[in-house]
Amino acid sequence: MPKLTKCLSVAAIVLAALTGTATAQQDFPNKPIQLMVAYPPGGSTDIAARVVASIAEKALGQPIVIVNRGGAGGQIGWTELARQRPDGYYIGFINLPATNTVILDPERRAIFTEKDFTPIINQVLDPGVIWVRADSPYKTVQDLIDAAKKSPGTIRTATTGILSDDHLAILMTEEAAPGAKFRIVHLDGGATQFKEIMGGNVDVAFDNVGSIVKRVQSGEVRALAVLDDVRSKFMPDVPTSKEAGYPTVISNSTRGIAGPKGMPAPLVAKLQSVLKKAMEDPEHVKKLDDQGIAIKIMIGDEYEKYFAETHAKAKKYTEWAKNRPM
Amino acid sequence: MDTLQHLMTGVTAALSLQNLTFALIGCVLGTLIGVLPGLGPAAGTAILIPLTFKLDPTGALIMLSAIYYGAMYGGTITSVLINVPGEAASVVTCIDGYQMAKQGRGGTALGIAAIGSFVGGIFATIALVVVAPPLAQVALKFGPPEFFALMLVGLCLITGLGGRSLLAGLAMAVLGLLIAMIGIDPVRGAPRFTFGIPSLYDGLGFIPVVMGLFGVAEILLAIQQPHRQVIKTNLASLLPSREEWRRSVGAIGRGTGIGFFLGLIPGVGAIIPTFVAYVFEKRLSKNPERFGQGAIEGVAAPESANNAYANAAMIPLLTLGIPSSPTIAVLMGAFIINGLTPGPFLFQERPDLVWAVIASFFLGNILLLVLNLPLVGLWARILHLPYSYVCTGTLTFCVIGAYSLQQNVFDIYVMIACGVIGYGMRRIDMPIAPLVLGLILGPFLEKSLRTSLEMSAGDFSIFFTRPLCLVLLVLAAVVLVASALRLPPRELREASSN
Amino acid sequence: MPTAESKAAKRGWQIACLSLLAIFLPALVTSLGYSLIDALGPGPGFFPFWLSLIGAVLSAAMLAQATVAKADEEIAVSPPDRSVMLQAIGMLVALIAAAALFEPLGYRLTMLPFIAAMLVILGARSWLAIALTALAGSFGIFHVFYHWLKVPLPIGEFGL
Repeated sequence: MPKLTKCLSVAAIVLAALTGTATAQQDFPNKPIQLMVAYPPGGSTDIAARVVASIAEKALGQPIVIVNRGGAGGQIGWTELARQRPDGYYIGFINLPATNTVILDPERRAIFTEKDFTPIINQVLDPGVIWVRADSPYKTVQDLIDAAKKSPGTIRTATTGILSDDHLAILMTEEAAPGAKFRIVHLDGGATQFKEIMGGNVDVAFDNVGSIVKRVQSGEVRALAVLDDVRSKFMPDVPTSKEAGYPTVISNSTRGIAGPKGMPAPLVAKLQSVLKKAMEDPEHVKKLDDQGIAIKIMIGDEYEKYFAETHAKAKKYTEWAKNRPM
Repeated sequence: MDTLQHLMTGVTAALSLQNLTFALIGCVLGTLIGVLPGLGPAAGTAILIPLTFKLDPTGALIMLSAIYYGAMYGGTITSVLINVPGEAASVVTCIDGYQMAKQGRGGTALGIAAIGSFVGGIFATIALVVVAPPLAQVALKFGPPEFFALMLVGLCLITGLGGRSLLAGLAMAVLGLLIAMIGIDPVRGAPRFTFGIPSLYDGLGFIPVVMGLFGVAEILLAIQQPHRQVIKTNLASLLPSREEWRRSVGAIGRGTGIGFFLGLIPGVGAIIPTFVAYVFEKRLSKNPERFGQGAIEGVAAPESANNAYANAAMIPLLTLGIPSSPTIAVLMGAFIINGLTPGPFLFQERPDLVWAVIASFFLGNILLLVLNLPLVGLWARILHLPYSYVCTGTLTFCVIGAYSLQQNVFDIYVMIACGVIGYGMRRIDMPIAPLVLGLILGPFLEKSLRTSLEMSAGDFSIFFTRPLCLVLLVLAAVVLVASALRLPPRELREASSN
Repeated sequence: MPTAESKAAKRGWQIACLSLLAIFLPALVTSLGYSLIDALGPGPGFFPFWLSLIGAVLSAAMLAQATVAKADEEIAVSPPDRSVMLQAIGMLVALIAAAALFEPLGYRLTMLPFIAAMLVILGARSWLAIALTALAGSFGIFHVFYHWLKVPLPIGEFGL
């Protein structure tokens, strides 16, 4: 076509795209938003996501559709998230430090890095916990560690997955108690852990408060320590790792919402305010409290800082985990 | 008797108009979820959880449980009518169920499936009431080594699916096991055979593969037929003949037993009991060559196993608080969201609720039967539609189903590719069932082996020092030898002609 | 006497065995690239290696068996005729096109022509029925799945 027409067409398209984006931001959202959960339906990230979505979508005026992209310990979902357009219509849950270890483990060959996400807001911070069957000989964390020193490499210790926060927590414990060595068994989530502990196939489990709080309350299992510096309000009788004499063993799992990198600031701000209100909503608080899941809202700088710190910590222990003999 | 009293209270509660309605809604929704592509029981149940926020806990749980075992039946409908499993566990029913439909016996297949499901479900629920806690404790003993041995037993049964050629059956099983390795290594986290394609990180999805191998391939094959008759089903043939009843009774009984026992073991999953029941039935039959050509036992056994499994799998959940499968994990999430933690303490804290839910299992199974038997004629009439519409419907169904699993177009391509491959395999008579079984067992076998070795710090003797595991290994050897002694026709013919 | 059909069947079987070898042998080589055994126990390559090996041996045995044996009269494969081939190819092309356009065009705009095309390929003739079915299968199903069941089906560039 003639040169002038061509130029004009290009200019028109560019103009349309620019104004399109601007308008898109102004009347965001004008179509449903997809909220990705990197795990199969029914897990605790998924349930908490559905609660927050059902409240936030009312404020947004558009449905929030939960998209489950489970598999490969979350890698599939986060790969997908990193490749989406940063237009606010596709956001997802990132789970630290799981997301970090996927990035840091060279064997995983993740195609995304920590720079490929725009953190929006954190929802949950679930502290780590060490627990055993109610009739176990270990009554305190010290019992466990003494046993691990006495017969290193024999105590079968379960995690919920390879390079999960539980796995890193075990390594932190070994670091804080030189001479202690656990026989690490990687299981497939909290439910499997519970089954194998009750069946006597493993001796002790490292998991998170939210997964096990009900069973601790009912007395079926005994929690030895919460890996935090303050006691969990759901398990007030359980000492912290700090109180037990191991203040460096701090481990937790957080769940927060992020978007692909390059999301415009006004979009992020809007999502932050809507989601924050939803998370502070009494119904949300009650539902999560009922399950023993601790809410910790983190926004902006605080969240970014937390991300960076978790990443650095995960790096150290991931390298150790990859080289540690059985 | 304390239990009986509890049960009676529970029945009264379950019979309340409100709870009965919830059970009914659950059964209907469950059947729909089973029929609809892309909405597996796990996802379907998860989606409906927020609905139950508004209901009281008992009602919510009754409804969600009904959805769960309703979905087990719903998946059968599409397996029989269009050779596409509505949900993973129904894949075995395709083998003989669809053949029956092609012969105009689709209604009978659905009918016997409904009846078999009913028997399986009721029996499992009775057993739940009577023997649950001690049995559940025994099931707990199944740790990773026992699991490995159990899967090995399943693998040895594959020779029963080989069809014409033993070698081909074995090769297909090995291929299935190998394909199951695609994706991120479950123990170490390293990607295998993924060639840099992120969609392969979780392996080839089971549902797209099976939809392709069974559904799409079937349509490609059907185009071959120069004259496609519209299948006539007359109402009289909706009921099984006397001969078929006789054969089904045993199959239903055996299927129920197998489904029940495997349902007690957490982690087995719904597909394995159906395969085991099918192969077992075929082994015991005097005319095994009828299987795959529309043998009614080939539908009755897996269907009974399916529902017996579904109801039995509630036992570990209710008595010990252990979910047996991802779908039950979703149910457990529903319990928890409603403020209840399943487990022995729930029996003590809220017996009224637990027993009402258990009583509703009885009612739910009855409701399912009452709902579905009359509808069987209606479903079977779908086959009367013009051929082009049925096929197009099937393909649309498959496309939606393949995509919806992970919202990934890649899965549609996988399905198409498997359709072509399945077509090729059918034309040269290469057996498909062992491939599917290998695909299912692969991840279990590998994971349980490597977790067992983590438990024993690399010591293989763990498999021989645990009594239950040793028993299972011996059983596997016995099954293998027994299968080998029964040579399939091709090898026999060649041997005798030499 | 071996017929053309049974010879075709034998040929088909041989091709299948060769294809199997073409899968198992590269898999064998690839699994050697993953560690078989290391300090942490059996590695990612352990199972795939042994499975590929056994599979390759079985496929070779099947190939040998098929080549040596006479073509079995009972097993016959008749080549499909032209119109059937065209239908099958049409179906596959339609499927692949639908998959390719699924996300860019969105569910509704893709399935509308897909359903109509499939119906025509498979022999449906009534234009009204075809149009209605295509509409129901695309827009109708979308509404049910997306709005009622909350199962996300893709919405394409054009908002549909």
